[in-house]
Amino acid sequence: MEYTDPPDPRTHLTSETTRHVLGLQHKLLAEARAFLGARGFTELLPPVIGPVTDPGGRGAKQVDVDFYGHRYKLMTSAILYKQASLLGFSKIFYVAPNVRLEPLETANTSRHLAEFHQLDVEVAGASRDDVLDLLQDLVAHVVRRVVEDAGDVLEALGRDSGAFTDLLGGAFGRLSHATAVETLRELGHPQSADAEIDWAGEAILSEKHARPFFLVDYPKGSRGFYDRESVSTPGVLRNFDLIAPEGYGELCSGSEREHDYGRIVTRMRETGENPAKYAWYLDLVRAGIPASAGFGLGVQRFTRYVAGLDAVWQATAFPKLPGVVSP
Amino acid sequence: MTALQASGFPEDLVRERARSGAAAVFPSATSYGTSLFGGSSSDSADLLESARLVPPVFVPRRLEKLIELGREPLYGDVSLSTSIGGFASSLPVYLSAFGSTQVAGAGLGAAASAQAGRLGIPMVIGENVVPVHGHGRAGGPSAGTLLERLRAYGDAVPDGLGGVVVQQSTEDADAEVWNLVYSDPSAASLLESGRLAFELKVGQGAKPGLGGMTLVSPSDAASLASLYAVDLTLGSSVLRSSSPGTFTPEILRQQIRLMRNNFPRAGVWVKLPPGRDVASAASVAWEAGADAVTVDGAEGGSGWTPLSFGPVGLPLGECLSRIGAPAGCLLASGRMWEGTRVAKVLALGARAAGLGRAALLAVDTDPESGLVRFAEALALELRLLLSALGQYQPDALTPEDVWFPGTSVPVREQVLS
Repeated sequence: MEYTDPPDPRTHLTSETTRHVLGLQHKLLAEARAFLGARGFTELLPPVIGPVTDPGGRGAKQVDVDFYGHRYKLMTSAILYKQASLLGFSKIFYVAPNVRLEPLETANTSRHLAEFHQLDVEVAGASRDDVLDLLQDLVAHVVRRVVEDAGDVLEALGRDSGAFTDLLGGAFGRLSHATAVETLRELGHPQSADAEIDWAGEAILSEKHARPFFLVDYPKGSRGFYDRESVSTPGVLRNFDLIAPEGYGELCSGSEREHDYGRIVTRMRETGENPAKYAWYLDLVRAGIPASAGFGLGVQRFTRYVAGLDAVWQATAFPKLPGVVSP
Repeated sequence: MTALQASGFPEDLVRERARSGAAAVFPSATSYGTSLFGGSSSDSADLLESARLVPPVFVPRRLEKLIELGREPLYGDVSLSTSIGGFASSLPVYLSAFGSTQVAGAGLGAAASAQAGRLGIPMVIGENVVPVHGHGRAGGPSAGTLLERLRAYGDAVPDGLGGVVVQQSTEDADAEVWNLVYSDPSAASLLESGRLAFELKVGQGAKPGLGGMTLVSPSDAASLASLYAVDLTLGSSVLRSSSPGTFTPEILRQQIRLMRNNFPRAGVWVKLPPGRDVASAASVAWEAGADAVTVDGAEGGSGWTPLSFGPVGLPLGECLSRIGAPAGCLLASGRMWEGTRVAKVLALGARAAGLGRAALLAVDTDPESGLVRFAEALALELRLLLSALGQYQPDALTPEDVWFPGTSVPVREQVLS
């Protein structure tokens, strides 16, 4: 895929391609809402700021906001609020804005934005298998409707709808993190066994697959404190990524969640966090929150994959690349 | 030079080295011809001070050097270049962390950074600098900030040498110091040249089991109360205490893994206090992938410390003995100010020694060149000592080069066949 920088705002907003892409994104979201609504989910509006947010990973920095003299954060992910919201509703979703000051080297990966949206889903009492099935059905439903209803838009964007034949033809496969590491090493890529699959490694795996697949069982130490650690296999997390084929890479991350107070505090220490910072959340957890599983699907990344775009910034009206001053 | 003092530390000798450089390594030249020189016996309770460096009679490595050079080697043939926690260094020393203490914040931090850069040695920037002094971008004040130190170092360091290590403690995690540095344009050149690392501060030498402590004014105490414990009034000041942090083997292991995961282009350093389980902790750190493990002996520390903590923690020599042959890059700090002590810790397994109080005093003596002259004196001493031990690079020293009086350590003699 050829990488280019975003043009000036007028050129970007008035281009035919942008209009097609954002129209397609509108349809993706509408179909996702319809799908989730039909399955009994309630859409809630996500918080934008809070005293704490997802600590994130891979070196991304949070944005501090002065909230009447208190240091608040823009949401990097509303995961903690999703867990808390299950006190009121058992199946929820957000279309949530996130801001992450990603490291500068991600500015030209074609995959990173400093400001993006997630379709955030959380299900009380669900297992990882439950939400993997849900996510697979959701993606298949949305893609099927796009292929059926918006073939002209795909054609205008130069996207061959035949690219989705495999996706629509069967279940997504699963690949454990350990197997992925082994595969990458056999291919000569020096992937750490303790870390997330790096961006280059992820692209290699993505290009080797014809339909999306789930990368599961990340090692502890590679993800946040809220991804639940396996009871039967300590050191392995009950989490997953959804990887798109054709080199598009990760679309979505999710997991079963830790909900036990003692385990969460311990995991916070293991991830270098100061539990005092999370007081409101820990107060809720101490009094009890539902067990749950869920995921966050990157709206712009999903749009990019379906539309077959070179870069994720093409899937947003006002692209903000890491470190690039832009409107 | 300010009124900076370091009681219990050979302050005058350090300042003399900062003023005179290599000349301070020898007795005063004016005494030559009128004095008789020779050893004096000194008893020291300090394990490392009481130990002696013991040159051998037979020196096979000198023969190797002789063959290489085609002439008899001298002390000037000793190369002090080494690798410290993934960074190339001109000397087997690095600038230890000074945190947000007042003495480091009053211009000395930046002056020390610039001189460490000139020397081409790694520099550790201490905990709490960002929460207390700020990062220094987006129009904020610059004095004492992280950015001021980064810039001072980066402007002076030669290509291919040195590196910056940014420490973070529990409270720093709230300020996201590592994330801030990793995503900051001012650190890009360090990252691109492989000269940035992050140090997980597990503890410190002078007050093992406690977190960092500073004295702040009552007005500052109010603004810091949301981050730190500021509950003890001492005279007209208030004690600000950091958390010591909570570690188990699994917490340490996972924190290191998370550092490697989140900051793949930065090195990982771990600073350990002189705890009784220091060997286990070092093993866990290396096994989890730490590029360097620093052990801060109980003799270390430049910050505010309770008087009762004098006899708390293992002496550095005991820490090194317990660790034995290190499984990775081991660094040692605590009262480092002259060559024999540095050479002893190198021989006992350390790759390099950290300069803390000595560096602050040297910079205080001369903000422009005090640390550079001090390091020149130290380098000359190390060359003389290594040469005397029949070695020509710092990582060639072994425990056989050190003798602890009163112990019956069997010495494996090296004999040329």
